[in-house]
Amino acid sequence: MYRSRRSQLIGIAYLAPALVFVLAFTAYPLVQMTWMSFHSWSLITPAKYVGLANYRRAFADDQFWVSFAFTLKYTAIITPLLIVGGYLLALLTSESSRLRRITRTTVFIPVVIGLGVSSLLWYWLFSTDFGLVNKALTDLGLISKPVLWLGVDADRSNLAIIASVVWKVIGFGMILFVGAIQAIPREITEASLVDGASYWQRVARVVLPLTLRTVLVVTLVSVIGSLLAFDQFYIMTAGQPQNETATSVFYVYLNSFPYLKLGYGAALSIILALTILVFTVVQLLLTRRSHA
Amino acid sequence: MRSRLRWPIMLAAATLMLAACSQGKDETPSSTAKAPAATTSCAGSGGLTMWERSGGNKQMVDMLVAAWNAKNPNCKIKLTYIPHTEMVGKIAQGIASGEVPDLMGMDLIYAPQFEKAQQLVDLTDRISGWPELKTASKGHMTVATFENRLYGVPLYADVSALFYNKDLFKKAGLDPDKPPTSLAEVREDADKITALGGGIKGYYLPGNCAGCNIFTVGPLMWASGAKIEAAGPGDEPLVGDGVKQVLQWTRDMVKAGNVHEGDRTENGETFHLQFGSGKVGMMGTGNFNITLARQQNPKMDFGITLLPGMAPSSAASFIGGDLVVVPKGSDRVDDAVNFMKFLLSDEVQVEVYAKALNLTTRSDMVENKYFKAEPLVQDVAKALTVGRTPYTLTFFEQINSPQGPWLKMLQRAYYTDDNLDSVISDAKAAMKSIANE
Repeated sequence: MYRSRRSQLIGIAYLAPALVFVLAFTAYPLVQMTWMSFHSWSLITPAKYVGLANYRRAFADDQFWVSFAFTLKYTAIITPLLIVGGYLLALLTSESSRLRRITRTTVFIPVVIGLGVSSLLWYWLFSTDFGLVNKALTDLGLISKPVLWLGVDADRSNLAIIASVVWKVIGFGMILFVGAIQAIPREITEASLVDGASYWQRVARVVLPLTLRTVLVVTLVSVIGSLLAFDQFYIMTAGQPQNETATSVFYVYLNSFPYLKLGYGAALSIILALTILVFTVVQLLLTRRSHA
Repeated sequence: MRSRLRWPIMLAAATLMLAACSQGKDETPSSTAKAPAATTSCAGSGGLTMWERSGGNKQMVDMLVAAWNAKNPNCKIKLTYIPHTEMVGKIAQGIASGEVPDLMGMDLIYAPQFEKAQQLVDLTDRISGWPELKTASKGHMTVATFENRLYGVPLYADVSALFYNKDLFKKAGLDPDKPPTSLAEVREDADKITALGGGIKGYYLPGNCAGCNIFTVGPLMWASGAKIEAAGPGDEPLVGDGVKQVLQWTRDMVKAGNVHEGDRTENGETFHLQFGSGKVGMMGTGNFNITLARQQNPKMDFGITLLPGMAPSSAASFIGGDLVVVPKGSDRVDDAVNFMKFLLSDEVQVEVYAKALNLTTRSDMVENKYFKAEPLVQDVAKALTVGRTPYTLTFFEQINSPQGPWLKMLQRAYYTDDNLDSVISDAKAAMKSIANE
């Protein structure tokens, strides 16, 4: 009895740091946010209980759903680019040679730059009057007059931002894929070679199935990151044109801070968090299936 | 029984005493009867903390703080710049968490919101008797006042005016000493300047910047007799024919090719660089652009006149800038008040503001040796006489937000063929809804 009680206490002691961390930085903020979502609170005035009013308002708020739909569209476009692009780069660079290592490093470097910094960098690259992109396209004779990349046409703005984010993030998936590919036992690859499999047959029937878990993990991370996209849109378009490139998180931010509607912002955040939870559960189920 | 009761009573008494002590810090200084008389030097010792928004004002505010620090080495101000777009949220977070600076610069249009929420120190009893306030910028003092109580003084002033490139006027065969006095004349002159070609356009419209537009297009509407924002619940926004007339005028300017295509993407980042590029004939901008344009394009000859309306010789301007205010919870109210006194002193008005060719925040200080040597500053200072500052508790949502109805209305007017009556009525409904919340 004494020993089991002691081992219980030791177990709790080992768990305590993680438990405290989760309670302080996940559970408490979540509870606080839920509490806020039932209140009207501007930070500078006392909070007032409003029940479900913030949620009712969110469901009737056209702009929130426009932003939500745009965020889904952005996620749907960028996720395959990051996964397929990252995987192809990984296939290209997974074998160890000097040139491949240099390529891997070059592709990975943007990952360590902050997203805000890279967004600002691309904002200037896409600048109509001062940007290098227009200058290069003009010099190559591909365009006759500067293209208005950001803030004028929603689709063009979205593509420009996607290009900047792919440049910034693709190296992250690539590195994980390289790790997974390199972990495949050499004898399996050699067996497929003995069986006469071509390169693409080996990729499709050996490499891909054996790295599927990593693919799903990278997809999960990418989808969550895209659904929470903020910096790049805040810096590069600020939601323009006509609020068509405002992402969900950007709209949450606007309501919470500049508009000082913290309760409403919290309600929008809860809705967004639940949506992401659904995506995460579905993907985790898929991961389990692939594992089984 | 007695001993059982004694502890709760003592505990309650101690709690009440603690509460009384902690409330004492939040007590408005106006109610503290014996506030020391303000001076231009520090009252206490130790550094002061100040927050200010970042932007084109930095150079001016740095100079003001440096002047104070040089005079008061024992209570230097440590200035922290907050990104302009983050300022409101940052202040609100600071107030909520009790982490506030000793004093701060606040974009004057947001002051009423914080005054109403009673988050600024009421300075009425300390400063209302100052003679300097009789000539302090009226736009600033209007928004520094809430229900007849005073909460701050001007930190610096920005006014909008019409800048015009005299070199381009000459090339286009226009008289550089006769700037336009109505929007019809602006259009005529812009047509001639645009006809010069070579990437030169007659006018500039910042297509993606709500703040730039209230600063430069708002006055065109005011000068045409219109009213823009809803002051509060039940108030009607976008009133007057001037709204539609100005929107039609801007749409015609865009269609006539009098603005660069790239203007459409202007979100405020490069607004201050446009006039100095030498490729714009006329542009609504602020006094800050005098020095910037000179630095950017030293050979360019330019003039400044008032932003006109539809009728000849009508004019208006946006008076912007910052107030110095004291957030509730500040431990150094006396020193903050002394800094205000310092800012309004004759010496600082002339030797810091005017010397750097920035507008003085007192109208009686406009006549000074530095402005006399610089006619452009005198020209832009005239805008103070026709200027105004919007007064609303929801300025950001109605006007300044990139998602707000003001910018949406302008973009539909500039770049679409939507019926202008519908464009205005949609914006009106959105502004009313925001003001009614």
